[in-house]
Amino acid sequence: MNATTRVRKFPFWSLVWFILGVLYFALPLYATLDFSLRMERDVIGFKAYELAFADDEFLKTFGYSMLLAIATIIVSIIIIVPTAYWIRLRLPEARRIVEFITLLPFVIPAIILVFGLIRVYSSPVNIPFTEISLLQPLTNFKVGTNILIVAGYMVLGLPYMYRSVDTGMRTVDVRTLTEAAQSLGANWYTIIVRIILPNVRTALLSGALLTFAIVVGEVVLASFLGVPTFGPYLFLLGQHRAYEPAALTFTTFLLTWAAMGIIQLVTGGQGQTTGAH
Amino acid sequence: MTHLSLTNVSKHFGDFTAVRDFNLDVKKGEFVSFLGPSGCGKTTTLRMIAGFETPSTGSIAIESVDITNKAPNQRNVGMVFQAYALFPNMTVAQNIGFGLRVRKEKESDIKDRVAEMLAIINLEKKADSYPYQLSGGQMQRVALARALAIRPEVLLLDEPLSALDAKIRVALRAEIRAIQQKLGITAIYVTHDQEEALSLSDRIVVMREGEMDQVGTPFEIYNFPTTVFVANFVGTLNTANAEVVDPAKGLINMDGVQFASATDLKDRKKGDKVRVAIRPERFNFVSQEKKANIVDCTIENITFLGSIVRIQVKIGNTKFYMDTFNNPFLELPRIGAKDQVTCSREAVLVLND
Repeated sequence: MNATTRVRKFPFWSLVWFILGVLYFALPLYATLDFSLRMERDVIGFKAYELAFADDEFLKTFGYSMLLAIATIIVSIIIIVPTAYWIRLRLPEARRIVEFITLLPFVIPAIILVFGLIRVYSSPVNIPFTEISLLQPLTNFKVGTNILIVAGYMVLGLPYMYRSVDTGMRTVDVRTLTEAAQSLGANWYTIIVRIILPNVRTALLSGALLTFAIVVGEVVLASFLGVPTFGPYLFLLGQHRAYEPAALTFTTFLLTWAAMGIIQLVTGGQGQTTGAH
Repeated sequence: MTHLSLTNVSKHFGDFTAVRDFNLDVKKGEFVSFLGPSGCGKTTTLRMIAGFETPSTGSIAIESVDITNKAPNQRNVGMVFQAYALFPNMTVAQNIGFGLRVRKEKESDIKDRVAEMLAIINLEKKADSYPYQLSGGQMQRVALARALAIRPEVLLLDEPLSALDAKIRVALRAEIRAIQQKLGITAIYVTHDQEEALSLSDRIVVMREGEMDQVGTPFEIYNFPTTVFVANFVGTLNTANAEVVDPAKGLINMDGVQFASATDLKDRKKGDKVRVAIRPERFNFVSQEKKANIVDCTIENITFLGSIVRIQVKIGNTKFYMDTFNNPFLELPRIGAKDQVTCSREAVLVLND
C-alpha cells in the first residue's frame, strides 16, 4: 500500500464530523461539570454536590421521577411493542397513519397536552346521557393524577419509543420469524416474549433510555398536574441557586446512564444479534 | 395411501386469483415439488398447507383429517424458509429445540433429539454457535433440522436453496433428499429451478397462472411434456408450428420438411395446425447414427457450454438447437456448412396448448 492510498483511505471527513459531534455533546456537559465544581472561590471541589445531596427533596423528587419513568417505560412497551409488531405483520397500510400520530408530540406542545388532560379528566366520568358517575375526576386523587402524568409522559415519549421499536423490528425479518415460530407450534404470547422482544432488546433499551431522560427532566406536565417530580424541583432550585442545579444536572446525567446500565445488566444475556438473513 | 390431500383448493386476493382449483394427493414419504415461474401460485399453495393463508374454497387434509381452518401452530407441519428464519437470539441447539420446548417435552428428550438432529446435519460442533456465526448453507441445514425436530406430518420447503451459491446448492439439495428419504417424511418443495425439481422429486407439479399444468415424475415431465408451457419451462426446447399430413402415420410438415412423430394424432385431422417440440439433445448428425427422421440442415451457429456444445441448425426456414456432448477429439462442423440431422419419432412431440 503506497502513501497516496493511505491518504485516500484515511477517513478524514468522518473523523471531523465525529469530533464535531463529540464536542457538541461533551462540551456543555464538561462546562456544567466544571461550573459545578467551582462553588468556592479558587477551589475545585464538591461543595455544590454536598449541598445538593443534603437536601431531602432531591432524593424524594428524583426517586419519584424514576418510579414514574419506569412506569412510563413499562406501559409504553406493553402498548407500543404489540402495536408496532402488528403493523409490521398484518397492517402495513396503517404504518403511515401511526407514524403521523407518533410525530404529533413534536408539533403539539406539552402545555397543550397538559391542559387537554386537565380539561378532560377534571370532570367525573359519567354514563352517557345520565348523571351516574363511573369515576371521580382523575385530577382529584393521587393515583388518578399519577395515571394522568404517566399517560402524558407516554405520549411525550411516543415518537422515541415507537421509532426505536419500529427500527429494531426492521432489522429482523419479523414476518418470517413469526411464521417460523408458528410452524413450530408457538402461540402469540410465546412469539412476542421469546422471539420478538429478545430480538428488539437493544431498540427497546434505547427507546427506554430516551423516555427515561424525558421523564426525569420534564417540567410542564408535572408542574400543572401538581406532581412533585425532579423537573419542577430542579427548575425551582435554579431560580435561587447557581451551582447546585449544575451539580444536580450532571448527577442526573450520570444516574440516568447508570439506570440504563442496570437495565442492560438485569435484562442480561446475549446482545441483540443480526437479523434473519 | 394418501397422506396429504388438497381438494379443489382456490385462493383469491380481491379480484386476483392466485390459485385455481388445485387438486393433489400426496403419498406418505413422497417428495413433491411445485415448479413454476414467479407468481404462478406455488408459494401461495404451500402457505395454505402451512396455514399462513386460508383457502377461499376447497379443503386440505392430512391423514384424512381436515386442517383447512386450523391455525398454523396446530398443524404439526414443519417449514423451511428461503430466508432461513433462524431465531437470532438463540443458539443452534436452542433453535432446533425450540419447537420441542413449545410442546413442553421433557428436557432430557429435547437434549437427545437436538443431538440426533445435529448429527443428521453434521453440525455437532456448532451447537452453541449463534446464527450470525454460521454460513448460509449451515444456517439452512439448521433450519431443516429445526423443522424436522418436531417430527412433522409434512415438511414444507419454500425455495430453501435460492439464497445459496451454486455449489452449496447442489450439495445441500442432495443432503435434503437423503435426509427426507432416511426419515421417510412427506415433503413439499417449492422452486422455480427446474434442475432442483428434476433432481429431488418423486413427482413434480408444474404450475402456471395459479393452475396445475402437468403432474408427473421428473422423467415424464422432462421427456413427455403435454403442454407448450411445460415443454418450454422445463429444459431447453425447440418449438415450431407444423401441419398434420397423415394422422394415422403420425406425419407432420414443418415448413416443407416432413417429420414422423410418435405422438398419438388420432384426434387430429389432415391439415390441422399443431405445435411441435423437439429437445436439442434428441438431434444427432446422420454421420453418427440414423433414426426415423433424416433432414437436411445448414449450420447457423455454435456455442460452447462446457460439457455440451449447442449447435444452431436451420431446417427448412426454422432454426433449431441441437446439443452434442463436448468431445475434444471430434471436429465440430463449420458455420454455413450443409449437413443432415436425424431424430427418432419419439423425439417429435406434438403439444397441447
